[in-house]
Amino acid sequence: MSALLSPEDLKRQALANVQDATESNAENPALTALRDSSLAALKAAVFPGRKTEQWKYTSLQPLADGHLNRRAAAAATPADLPELGDYRLVLVNGRLDESSSALPDGVTLKREASRLEGLTTPFALYNGAALDDAITLEVAANTDVAGTVQVIHYADGDQPAHCNTRLEVVLGTGSRMTLIEQYLGRGPVLTNAVTAIETRDNAHLSHYRLQSEARDSLHIGTLLLRQSGVSRIDSYQLMAGNRLRRNDVRAFIDKSGAELNMNGIFVARDRTHIDNQLCVEHRVPDCTSNQVYRGLAGEKGKAILNGRIHIHPGASGTLAELSNKNLLLNPGAEIYTKPELEIYNDDVKCAHGATVGQLDAGQQFYLQARGVPLAEAKRMLSLGFVNELVMGLPDQTVADWAQPWLAGELGQSRGADEEAA
Amino acid sequence: MLEIRDLHAAVAGEPILKGLNLTVNAGEVHAIMGPNGSGKSTLANVLAGKDNYEITGGDALFEGKSLADLEPEERAQLGLFLAFQYPVEIPGVSNMEFLKAALEATRKAQGKEEWDSVTLLRKARETCKQVDLDPQFLKRGVNEGFSGGEKKRNEIMQMLLMEPKLALLDETDSGLDIDALQTVARGVNSLRSPERGIVLVTHYQRLLDYIVPDFVHVLSNGQIIKSGGKELAHELEEHGYGWLTGDRNDGKDQSA
Ligand SMILES: Nc1ncnc2c1ncn2[C@@H]1O[C@H](COP(=O)(O)OP(=O)(O)OP(=O)(O)O)[C@@H](O)[C@H]1O
Ligand SMILES: [Mg+2]
Repeated sequence: MSALLSPEDLKRQALANVQDATESNAENPALTALRDSSLAALKAAVFPGRKTEQWKYTSLQPLADGHLNRRAAAAATPADLPELGDYRLVLVNGRLDESSSALPDGVTLKREASRLEGLTTPFALYNGAALDDAITLEVAANTDVAGTVQVIHYADGDQPAHCNTRLEVVLGTGSRMTLIEQYLGRGPVLTNAVTAIETRDNAHLSHYRLQSEARDSLHIGTLLLRQSGVSRIDSYQLMAGNRLRRNDVRAFIDKSGAELNMNGIFVARDRTHIDNQLCVEHRVPDCTSNQVYRGLAGEKGKAILNGRIHIHPGASGTLAELSNKNLLLNPGAEIYTKPELEIYNDDVKCAHGATVGQLDAGQQFYLQARGVPLAEAKRMLSLGFVNELVMGLPDQTVADWAQPWLAGELGQSRGADEEAA
Repeated sequence: MLEIRDLHAAVAGEPILKGLNLTVNAGEVHAIMGPNGSGKSTLANVLAGKDNYEITGGDALFEGKSLADLEPEERAQLGLFLAFQYPVEIPGVSNMEFLKAALEATRKAQGKEEWDSVTLLRKARETCKQVDLDPQFLKRGVNEGFSGGEKKRNEIMQMLLMEPKLALLDETDSGLDIDALQTVARGVNSLRSPERGIVLVTHYQRLLDYIVPDFVHVLSNGQIIKSGGKELAHELEEHGYGWLTGDRNDGKDQSA
């Protein structure tokens, strides 16, 4: 069960699934080209191991339970999923629940996926090579989408298994949309997810990425943003730790005048883990990126953020900011944060700051001195630490969901039931 | 109500209180005066249960219970309230949220009826007005960016809402303008009752014109070295502490 898992083992396991899968997937020819090219790239790829720099703080050893050996079986959509949008699509273990496919005017759904450029990690390649299903949403030019669209990726299984789930979105010229991407689930399933979004000229996307699958689940996901047009993306990311959560966020800002804003809150309590690898690529002049992330870790939780900002030689006039403040709730928890700047142009403004602090003893005492029990005082201060970002969530429905969710995540440790499990 | 016997306490290992005795009965108002650094805030913090403030000898009983055995929140829930000399700022936690948590915890512990959020908001607004604080302050972070005087009024506002059995006010009058001083004094006086004890730490006689104490004590070098009635405060105003502490200036000795 806990035999050491080498990069070669992982690759072997992944490839074995793809060969099995090819035939059963022949029914969706729209995916064939992507599967073939992904498979070819996967064959040449190297999986991460103990010495891989970008995986310094995250071990893939939990996959020794055999998640990659088994695909999560088709399952029914649970009845009680949250409704955060006006329209809702549900994918269970990567397959679209066809009863949930109503969409607003101007948004078209296709059961296909095509994007490969920029998706370079072995897990993203495996996702492409192994897809059973996928959805692409196209927002027609000049459409101000009436109503928000929620896409739930639900992972379900009773034993270690994995699913591949994929969402691609293209916002046409002059379009606007609010997209809520939500990851939920039950059981020890690895969700291997890819989301790829492209925004054309004058498009404006408000994007929410909410990740709170079961604590014994795993998630390895890539979010790829490509601003091919002068566009604006506001992305809000709320993430709870689980047995292993790894997010690779990659943004290509490719048209002068584009603006990218990313805000995130991540929480690793008890023994959970969350690893955020952010990479913003400024490839053309006069674009703006602004990233604000706040992280918390408690008990034996572990949280990581690596924020890379890459300003290419031609990208003069770039304005890039990254702030990551973190709160360590107790000494046993771990937080690693690192801004990583690669700047090949003198005419840029780039600011970054990363801190790891602790709860303030004076504030804690002040609350206690007013009768507030210590655990509640800690919860209030933790919530206070992320309050600014929560208040900044523009979508009221999401904010109304996020507040109690965060209060739960930041409340009393669930350590006791965890030990029992 | 409060009984302090031969109390010794150390801050971060440093002995500060050195055999302090003080008894406060229900219905009484006590004033504690004394030079800077004599241990007044230390006493307040020891009673409230701040970390690193360690009782090394003697005892402090509140309603017959030894405070040393209680967590800070338990002391507050029993009805002990400390208005801080330097209230801390808590950005991100709104004043209202804070009051709600404080009142829920204490009222429940005291067996008082719970206030629903409408009642709570109404009471909080009324009490704000009582201390001349714009109710808009309820929405702001706790003490966040408040002026010195606003912080003090916020402390009094909390005190009025929490209706403690024993209120300790650590220099709540310092840094207040004359109008604010009267506002605060009115607030404190409105709490005066036969069931309640009040301890005022102050440097200024002026506060005691508005809140007339039953007893005045002088704390010096970790001990109460003199106690008297309200006239003691006038003497101190006139002569300073030198004649009591026996050191430095005028050589008037302690028995004088
Ligand atoms: N954390 C600490 N470490 C060491 N000494 C401390 C600490 N906190 C307080 N003291 C010392 O304890 C002594 C008493 O301080 P305290 O704040 O109780 O005085 P005070 O009587 O309230 O003075 P003031 O009138 O200036 O408010 C001072 O000498 C102070 O420097
Ligand atoms: Mg003091």
